[in-house]
Amino acid sequence: MSAGTESQSLESATTSIESQPDQKTRRYDRQLRLWAKSGQAALESAHLLVLSSSSTSTSILKNLVLPGVGQFTLLDRTITSPSDAGNNFFLEGLDSVGKPRAEEAVRLLLELNDGVKGHSIVEKDIQQVLSSEGESGVEWVKGFSLIIAHNLEKNALDQLSDLLWADFKSPPLVIIRSAGFLAEVFIQFHEHAIIDSHIDSTPSLRIDKPFPALLERSLAIDFENLDVTDHGHVPYVFILVRVLEEWKKSHDGNPPSTAAEKKEFKSLILNMRKKSDEENFEEAESQAYKCWTSTVVPSDIKSLFASSASSSNTPPHTKPFHILVKALEVYTSTVPPNTLPLSSTLPDMKASTKEYVEIQRLYKDRSVEEKNTFKGILANVIKEQGEDPNLIDDETIDSFVKNSHVLRLLSGKKWGWVDEDKAALTERAQTSSKQLGIHLALSALSSLHAKHAQAQATKQSQEGQNADFTPSLEELTAEAKAILPDGVELPEEDFDNAIGEAARSPTADLPNTAALLGGVVAQEVIKMITKQYVPIDGYCTIDLVETWTGVL
Amino acid sequence: MAAAASSSDWPGRYHHIDQILDKPGPRTDPGFLAGDGVKDFLRGQAKILVIGAGGLGCEILANLALTGFKDIHVIDMDTIDISNLNRQFLFRQKDVGKPKATVAAEFIMKRVPGVTVTPYFGKIQDKDEEYYMQFNLVICGLDSVEARRWINATLVNMVDPEVPESLKPLIDGGTEGFKGQARVILPGITSCYECSLDMLNKQTQFPICTIANTPRLPEHCIEWASVLEWPRVFADKKLDNDDPDDIDWLYKTALNRAREFKIEGVTWSLTQGVVKNIIPAIASTNAIIAAACCNEAFKIATSSAAFLNNYFMLIGTDGVYSYTFEHEKRQECPVCGGEALDLAISPELTLEQLIETLTERQDIQIKKPSLSTPTKQLYLQAPPQLEQATRPNLEKKVSELVPPSGEVTVTASTLPFSLSLRIAYTS
Repeated sequence: MSAGTESQSLESATTSIESQPDQKTRRYDRQLRLWAKSGQAALESAHLLVLSSSSTSTSILKNLVLPGVGQFTLLDRTITSPSDAGNNFFLEGLDSVGKPRAEEAVRLLLELNDGVKGHSIVEKDIQQVLSSEGESGVEWVKGFSLIIAHNLEKNALDQLSDLLWADFKSPPLVIIRSAGFLAEVFIQFHEHAIIDSHIDSTPSLRIDKPFPALLERSLAIDFENLDVTDHGHVPYVFILVRVLEEWKKSHDGNPPSTAAEKKEFKSLILNMRKKSDEENFEEAESQAYKCWTSTVVPSDIKSLFASSASSSNTPPHTKPFHILVKALEVYTSTVPPNTLPLSSTLPDMKASTKEYVEIQRLYKDRSVEEKNTFKGILANVIKEQGEDPNLIDDETIDSFVKNSHVLRLLSGKKWGWVDEDKAALTERAQTSSKQLGIHLALSALSSLHAKHAQAQATKQSQEGQNADFTPSLEELTAEAKAILPDGVELPEEDFDNAIGEAARSPTADLPNTAALLGGVVAQEVIKMITKQYVPIDGYCTIDLVETWTGVL
Repeated sequence: MAAAASSSDWPGRYHHIDQILDKPGPRTDPGFLAGDGVKDFLRGQAKILVIGAGGLGCEILANLALTGFKDIHVIDMDTIDISNLNRQFLFRQKDVGKPKATVAAEFIMKRVPGVTVTPYFGKIQDKDEEYYMQFNLVICGLDSVEARRWINATLVNMVDPEVPESLKPLIDGGTEGFKGQARVILPGITSCYECSLDMLNKQTQFPICTIANTPRLPEHCIEWASVLEWPRVFADKKLDNDDPDDIDWLYKTALNRAREFKIEGVTWSLTQGVVKNIIPAIASTNAIIAAACCNEAFKIATSSAAFLNNYFMLIGTDGVYSYTFEHEKRQECPVCGGEALDLAISPELTLEQLIETLTERQDIQIKKPSLSTPTKQLYLQAPPQLEQATRPNLEKKVSELVPPSGEVTVTASTLPFSLSLRIAYTS
């Protein structure tokens, strides 16, 4: 069965609410509760290129094969060594020694999930693909959804990242470097747009700017003559809108502003109680701040308008997002009351069923109206830009409007940018010296290893390079210090700790470090592929001696 | 394969790990015995217990085996369900229904030559102190608060200051969605699991009157179906959360109620989620937390680097955010603190109300407590005769039963320890 038909069956299984879930939905139940069927479908149509079959690489793949990534290709010509067989769970001990490592790994990884396709390419490596195959090799690489490179030899990595960076349509490149207890993860991408960011933030109920039906309904309540039961079931939203409206009449149209006024406002609410234990009035009092917190376009979204407008070379996959953002900007600047479209999701509140269902209906109806206004504006924007009217489907628009308060647009940076940015290095040496220490130690290891490999190659002895690579503390120190601009130094302890650990275990792919990276990187890949949740922005450095992670 | 098994430590097998074990790093304790000494201990002597062979357990077992632990024991009382297969990577479709501990142990021994994994398919409470005493370290990958409290209290109780080996470091991990935490507990020395109970998220509990009279959310309808309707319709049959037919009945019942009240959003998946209290779980988060736990086990067993002091939490929803800190011991912790918990109550409070207060407190979390003073039993949940005999006390004021500054001992059958309260009355 292809990934495509499987994702369809998943969709029909979760939408047909009358029946028990099918086998596949049951298998993926615990993750569907996080990224839903849309995220699952994205994962199932992804094809990953992985440039090594190290313990770290197979750990990453394990955590992507299990949730059902569509396909992966392992590109690695390494023949399994006794040390590989000792630290990689996706090799079978001595039985795998002498066999192509990628082939063994693919076979054992595929045992985890029948729905996943895996391929191994063992007769060449990435450098050969990029150098010997020319343009067709480069295009082949760019055809993947995402590329993962663990401890890739420096020259190959630099060449790969240059080629991918040169084309804004390139897939993301996830770079992982590790040695012993130290590691770092970086994602190179041009632009990443997130609608469903899962950021924990509740949309405004617009109590300070009530829409007509809400205002009318709130003003119509005859609190005096309600019986005690109904009085205790008036939703707090109605109470607040009503009290605020009356307050504004006697305060030149302004909400409470001074501490004394706010206190007075709250006591007005509590004085309305008919009984001392009416929880709806207590809720109203505790939510009273909503009356003087003006509903405006959140600052994150305002800056999104600016960054989206200034984005050039938009890759095809973020184009719809930019158009949606443009339409949102037009919406918020032209449609009163100049806020984001109303959200239809209402928090639970003390109310009778009837009252709650009614207020839910008020919000839902209004949100549909506002969404339709937004859709009209969007159609105009699409037309103005000469785009296909069907470029954006309804499901995407619904999700965009629903998440309009938590949208995110990330602008990526090229791998290695920090090493060339003197100001950034100077600043990071002060503010994130431990993280920078790890980055420098891993950079020093990687450039010394490249020199070492070159020396070995000229000696025509390619076997056992890794085992022979044992840089001294002095070499590593010199190499790392050369990256820092003149006059910039790290606190000695932070520098020595990182360099010392790198010198101790220059080529160690420790099972625990590999497993931890396997988890961290798989989370990031899932976030990039599903376009849900927010991926790391920068270098994520990891120290497993003191057990911390930190972004550089 | 036979040749491999007999000489399982082939040359080069531990090339990666030996880089760590052959020499100290800048932050390694001077007591570290680099070289053969530490390798012999790790590979020849160390005995480690893994509690839980589920999402974290599978990962923990694989990591420990690759790291060089050769004598691993694992306890789990569960059998394999299809919903485990998206992350519990030692299990396959054909294993559904089999005991997790046994299948996991067999898989590890087949994949990693020379490692012995001894499974126990059962409850941790089946084992006594003598059993737990044989291990150097315990790692927990559990989803149950109750089981964690039990093993934590058991290991704290086992500590004999005269016998250093009686202190068993406990490494505990937990995950939920993209978030998780790992911690190191040195029983009696650092903060223990019980010390940090108040850090747990409070479970949402819907008031019965809302469920019965004013449902507003789909969850209210589902709770109505499971808490009120099921016992009414099936008086003699216990609800089986794992039986799809039972969930189906709840779903349809909840859906009918939702339609009656015009409430939207009752689905099969939500019904199952609410009834089973399902926590989202993915392979990657389990991998992170299990690796952090095993890395601490490795560092403790080898002294090759300092270990975590004492709490690491990670949130992967918005970038990678983590926080490493020292959680502090609580002096009035009923397990490791030794001091009674001061409780100031109104002299009007009845014993029943006091019990209710206790069950609601986040730092106590006790479900069916029994209470006594040094001289009399106040209320006992069991056996039935004593429950009946002490029931009349429930309506009495605590102030009639306990003198000011009097001590009350609280126990519960699910917990292997008691809590001491010192009661004061607000005037």
